[in-house]
Amino acid sequence: MSAAGTVVDVLVSGLAKASLYAMMALGLTLIFGLLGVLNFAHGSLTMLGAYAAGLLMVTFAGSGFGALVWFLVAGLTAGVLVGGLGAAMEVALIRKLYDRPPIYQILLTFGITLVIDELARIVVLFYGMQPQTDWQAALGTKPSFIADTFAVLGGTVSHLELFEILWGVLTVVAVWAFLNRTRYGLVVRAGSEDDEMAAALGIDVRRVFTVVFALGAGLAGFAGALLMWDPAWAASVPLASETLLPAFVVVIVGGLGSFRGTVVAAVIVGMVDALMTYLFDHAIITFSGLPELTVFLILVGVLVVRPQGIFGLAEVGGH
Amino acid sequence: MSLLEVEDVHAYYGESHVLEGVTLDVERGEVVALVGRNGVGKTTTLRSILQLTPPRDGDVRYDGESLVGHETHEVADRGVGWIPEDRRVFAHLTVAENIRLAVPADDDVEDALERAYEAFPDLGEIGGRDAGTLSGGQQQMLAIARGLVGDNDLLLVDEPSEGLAPLIVEDVTEALADLAEDTTMLVVEQNLPLALDIADRFYVLDHGTVVDEGSTEGVSTDDERFERLSA
Repeated sequence: MSAAGTVVDVLVSGLAKASLYAMMALGLTLIFGLLGVLNFAHGSLTMLGAYAAGLLMVTFAGSGFGALVWFLVAGLTAGVLVGGLGAAMEVALIRKLYDRPPIYQILLTFGITLVIDELARIVVLFYGMQPQTDWQAALGTKPSFIADTFAVLGGTVSHLELFEILWGVLTVVAVWAFLNRTRYGLVVRAGSEDDEMAAALGIDVRRVFTVVFALGAGLAGFAGALLMWDPAWAASVPLASETLLPAFVVVIVGGLGSFRGTVVAAVIVGMVDALMTYLFDHAIITFSGLPELTVFLILVGVLVVRPQGIFGLAEVGGH
Repeated sequence: MSLLEVEDVHAYYGESHVLEGVTLDVERGEVVALVGRNGVGKTTTLRSILQLTPPRDGDVRYDGESLVGHETHEVADRGVGWIPEDRRVFAHLTVAENIRLAVPADDDVEDALERAYEAFPDLGEIGGRDAGTLSGGQQQMLAIARGLVGDNDLLLVDEPSEGLAPLIVEDVTEALADLAEDTTMLVVEQNLPLALDIADRFYVLDHGTVVDEGSTEGVSTDDERFERLSA
């Protein structure tokens, strides 16, 4: 392959990975930024989104371009359902622990993730599916042209990668516009900085907390819908932990609670992942697990050199 | 009926008994100063009125209705504003965004911004700057501007002169005096000359309880009633 082709391969693959990482991590960073809660259940919410969207696609979707419309319906529905579940979690469980040290919220959300994963495993098994392996029927709802590839400067670009980049960019722009161009976004940013002062200005901070938790969970659900069509991820119960780890890497590298940091870190991690995948596949040694290892090495490196992350404040904490 | 009635309020931080039965009232249209040494419970009194540190005993009534048991945002919705100690501007929001947040939902935001910039022309020139980059004096002006556009009937003002240069304190005093023309105020202040300058009445707080009160008329800072403030 030509050098230009290699660059195209790595660049497009890196941006596609970055888009997925950003979508996995944005909800996590929103929730931490406002509520100070490290939501260990975030990966499980992504997994639920993948199954919910997959179920809708398998049940209702046709083939061809119609499936794209159904994907939008399924993705938004998954986002709303998972967002609703997130709101219920915040009101019923997490709210009770805001005045406790962060470790309580971490343990609680860790407990929630164990419950969700186990319930998902039981339900998936009940319907005769293998919880540990990719849900092929949902993968199969992807229109064939999405899996097609085409050549650019000697490199190979798939429609799926472009599809993922499109949704990644749209999601980042939508969240940015919400935070920076709406009255509610202004309220969210104020509440994340000083919840007492925000309340004293007449803002119902508790309701804002619930809305943001729902939004963060909904983003996880929508990310799950996108992953459902990607054979590198796909709907399965282990998707919960498979997505939680890179989401945490991105959020920590970018700076806990920083929207800008999360987007930049997603691009860095995605590009490094793509580059390492290429190098380990073609140049150094063919061993498929090494690129993921590199991603975690970035995390270790950032924690040692700049513990607050690229755009994080020197000290972070809850309210 | 007084606009604000604080009746035998007891408040705690954990097990620490900070307010030991504070009683005071503020009439509509008045400016009342709450003076006292550091750590006697002045800020906690304001926090108890706002329900940020809810009283464990006693009552806080606003316009005849109890505020106890209500959320802070509900207290604010009733028309109680707060200009806190240390300004507490939202550092990562712009000056304009800080002001926008204080505008009640059914008020015209642009009109409110115009009023704020008219009162504090300096803020108009730096409306796009992050509030965290402003000087202490500018931040205090911004905090007062938030109180101005908040459409409040009662403003709780905490240590407005703290940490400011004497020249800036003059500006702040002037701004508060302007605001007092149509807003009732309870002002916590250690700067006795400023407190006596803008207030109609005063309360002296010591060890979490009111130990003296009276009109500011004819009272000077060297009055023996204020000796305990420097004790």
